[in-house]
Amino acid sequence: MVVSVEVAAVGTARSRGSRRPRGGSARVSRRDVLLGLFGPVAVAAAFVPVAAATRSLRAAEPPADIVFDETYRGRRIRGIRTSATSAGRVFDDAQWHVTVDGRPLHLMRRADGTWLSMVDHYRSYGTPLEATRAAVDELGPGRHLREGTEPHMGGDHGVHA
Amino acid sequence: MAYTRKDVSTLTAGERRRFVKAMLEVKRRGEYDEFVRTHIEYYNSDGEDGLRTAHMAPSFLPWHRRFLLDLERALRRVDSSVTVPYWDWTRDRTATSAPWTKDLLGGNGRRSDRQVMTGPFAWATGNWTLKEGVTDAEFLTRDLGRAANPIALPTKSELEGALADPVYDVSPWDSTVTSGFRNKLEGWGSGRGSVAWRNHNRVHRWVGGAMVGGASVNDPVFWLHHAFIDLCWYRWQRRHAGARYQPARPPGPASDQWRRVVARGEKLPPWGVTPEQLEDVSGIYRYA
Repeated sequence: MVVSVEVAAVGTARSRGSRRPRGGSARVSRRDVLLGLFGPVAVAAAFVPVAAATRSLRAAEPPADIVFDETYRGRRIRGIRTSATSAGRVFDDAQWHVTVDGRPLHLMRRADGTWLSMVDHYRSYGTPLEATRAAVDELGPGRHLREGTEPHMGGDHGVHA
Repeated sequence: MAYTRKDVSTLTAGERRRFVKAMLEVKRRGEYDEFVRTHIEYYNSDGEDGLRTAHMAPSFLPWHRRFLLDLERALRRVDSSVTVPYWDWTRDRTATSAPWTKDLLGGNGRRSDRQVMTGPFAWATGNWTLKEGVTDAEFLTRDLGRAANPIALPTKSELEGALADPVYDVSPWDSTVTSGFRNKLEGWGSGRGSVAWRNHNRVHRWVGGAMVGGASVNDPVFWLHHAFIDLCWYRWQRRHAGARYQPARPPGPASDQWRRVVARGEKLPPWGVTPEQLEDVSGIYRYA
């Protein structure tokens, strides 16, 4: 089951092209949402590399959509799409932050719009959710994502979609 | 004088022993983990900004050629008789054939957690603790053939489909191109299920475990696989005499691929050599 929750910052326009998630709405800031979900340490882990690497975080906090939040094969997987802006992207301008059991999973986008993860790097999937489930399939029992994997050359740690 | 890279199934017991010993020494010196990091760092996907060098790009072949040469140099500093063998997965196709023997790379991962328990790269030996990885596992993992949903290694005819293409690569020079030798060999397909993995990519998937992730270099089979990919490039060049690396010139400012791929005469990060300089390495090594 996919649990979708919409969260949006007050007074911040939605990004172009973003899908309407199912479920109810809550009007809180992205930071509040993330702190509530993960706690400050996990938020720092998820966002510090992005903040360092991109020009996309603005003073006015953009909307954040929890697009999926489910338990898959015993793992808590969550995908949050933030509508931060960044010039020059191939698709639209949202950014994804995916976690497995609270640890960031680095997703990458292919030119055909499909997704691959650091865990499963040699094929791609139709959606971030599919790519995340495939990563869980590959993780194996008892293993967790390692914190602090090196960022890719020239790339942002978060992925724009 | 050029040295020779051999088919891994033809190595003598002594050659196998020396190769393993040199690998373990490169690991002990801390050099090996640098290779793992470099491969992670240069994996840039084509749906994102930036220059692509190692994957989803024409320089997939020269990038890995030079990467292999660096590893081989590290091995030969330990033992000058060692070269990187190649694994011809169109011939050695089972989980018990070369190179999966106890005196070489060891065998499959165990069922419970995919940990490799046999051979010189098993965690219990103390010589092969993973330092750089996507997961917190310190041990090497494999899932040969993907037990839960089996797939086969690419066949000779599937590889032939790539080798027969007379054009090296085509615009837009990425993972979406459906013609050109480079992507047919690299193996980015479209669609779902097992057809989504082809040739090079499919082999990573078939080995599974570490080999299917960003830190695939952690499995020493990475080098044997890429030596065979490198040999395929050499065979393709011989078959299509005069065929060259493409693009010959960089895409212009109006192109979506401007500054995102390395043209024949441009420098290839992180080394500063050009694909052109790497097209002919017959002065360095040859294949037996």
